[in-house]
Amino acid sequence: MPSPSRDACRQIEGFVDAYVDGEFDGREALELEAHLSECPDCSHKAKLQQSFKSAMRRAAGTGFAPPRLREAVQARLSDPRAADDLDDEAGQRSPSGRAYRGFSNRTRGVAIAAAVAGAAVWFVAGGLSRPVFGPSALTRGLAEDGAALHARTLPLDYAASDAASVQRWLQGRLDFGVNLPHFQPAAALQGVRLSTVGSRAAAAVSYQMPQAKSRLTLLIVDDPEPKMAGTLRRVADREVYVSHARGYNVASWRRDEIVYSLISDLDERDVLDLVRAAQEH
Amino acid sequence: MLNLTQTDRTRREFEGLALEHIDPLYSAALRLTKNERDAEDLVQDCFLRAFRFFDKFERGTNIKAWLFKILTNTFINRYRRKVKERTVVEGAAREGNNERFVARDANESASNPEQYLFDRLLSDDVLKAIDGLPIDFRLVVILADLQEFSYKEIAEILDCPVGTVMSRLYRGRKLLQKTLLGYALENGVIQGGRVLDEEAQEEIEGEATADVLEFRRARGDA
Repeated sequence: MPSPSRDACRQIEGFVDAYVDGEFDGREALELEAHLSECPDCSHKAKLQQSFKSAMRRAAGTGFAPPRLREAVQARLSDPRAADDLDDEAGQRSPSGRAYRGFSNRTRGVAIAAAVAGAAVWFVAGGLSRPVFGPSALTRGLAEDGAALHARTLPLDYAASDAASVQRWLQGRLDFGVNLPHFQPAAALQGVRLSTVGSRAAAAVSYQMPQAKSRLTLLIVDDPEPKMAGTLRRVADREVYVSHARGYNVASWRRDEIVYSLISDLDERDVLDLVRAAQEH
Repeated sequence: MLNLTQTDRTRREFEGLALEHIDPLYSAALRLTKNERDAEDLVQDCFLRAFRFFDKFERGTNIKAWLFKILTNTFINRYRRKVKERTVVEGAAREGNNERFVARDANESASNPEQYLFDRLLSDDVLKAIDGLPIDFRLVVILADLQEFSYKEIAEILDCPVGTVMSRLYRGRKLLQKTLLGYALENGVIQGGRVLDEEAQEEIEGEATADVLEFRRARGDA
């Protein structure tokens, strides 16, 4: 039946959503409620909207963050390096190759400065070792991306302490085979996280050094381009390239088309000792 | 040493205030990035960034809204430029206007007044529908319907006028409801359903909801 409040409907129907959203209180809310109580059409509209909102909340509004995420956030907050990472990330490639823009104008300035500084560090560390044939864009970004990944302490996709089961887990998840080096007893395998470097799939393998209380990240990616970035060192008949990124030492070597980069805050000699020990297996 | 203690105290204060919002932040991040890995990365970056700018945060104001502002900014700056979603927004909004809109069965609310179509939707369908929304609409829907922020808070979070929030919300919801009704029909959750009467059709095709301010002005309040 055409109710006497037809005009009221016209005036109010546009605000039903806002009413359900809780935008009105006091006298405004009372006025709308008075209309809703005598108008089945508007009241239906309000209830339909309410059921829509509840369905939305039920489906996607009340999830829980994984406990490991909370732990990772706390770990990063208590890492004094945490604040520095952001500055780097603001202007540099993030692990997946995306660039950040700063949160405010002030950060943007800092970000640009950091980006310029980062480029200079790379040029000194890697650029001069191969003055004629530049390393591929991928390996050039590898140290940077690896260091960024290492700094973040992201949760593992698969936790295991033996190389065989990690390798098994990686089969089918990467389109290349992985041969994990053994760093035992100096460093214990923790597990692996899938990642990307440039647009390539990569595995970031985590190790813990019980004595030094420090972590290692071994980033594994396939790169058919033979040029490597960094200063060349020979370790047990193998060419190992050493570079630095974000305060970490990065040692990279290649097996066929697969590039392995070991990132840690150990000094260069200790890193090379680890690599040497690993090669002997 | 003193400096370290100071940093420690600040960190504890930050964790005390901010970490309790990790669940809603993660839920929102999941709907923004559409996958768990990126959502975790986004939330981590959000907290680190927030901690870094913690001295800019005015104590006693709404920290949840402040964290969401950082979350959405980080997301937008990081992901947005790679996707040319702007054009999709325009297209989707226009397309919505020409669709015939299927709605409630006339008998449905009469036979069971408390049982509405949306009560019977599958959560997976709702997720799929939200994820399919263009980003501008998805943002306001996430903030208004999943997180229940007020229009004013959303306007502050997204740095845009309240009117823009309302019109995006209106259009975003219409797109969503259309998709959801489509799923409901497909799954047989509702049978047939009738096309809305002319007046309702007009409402869907018409302009977005009026501004709240307009309402107040009409009533002589503003």
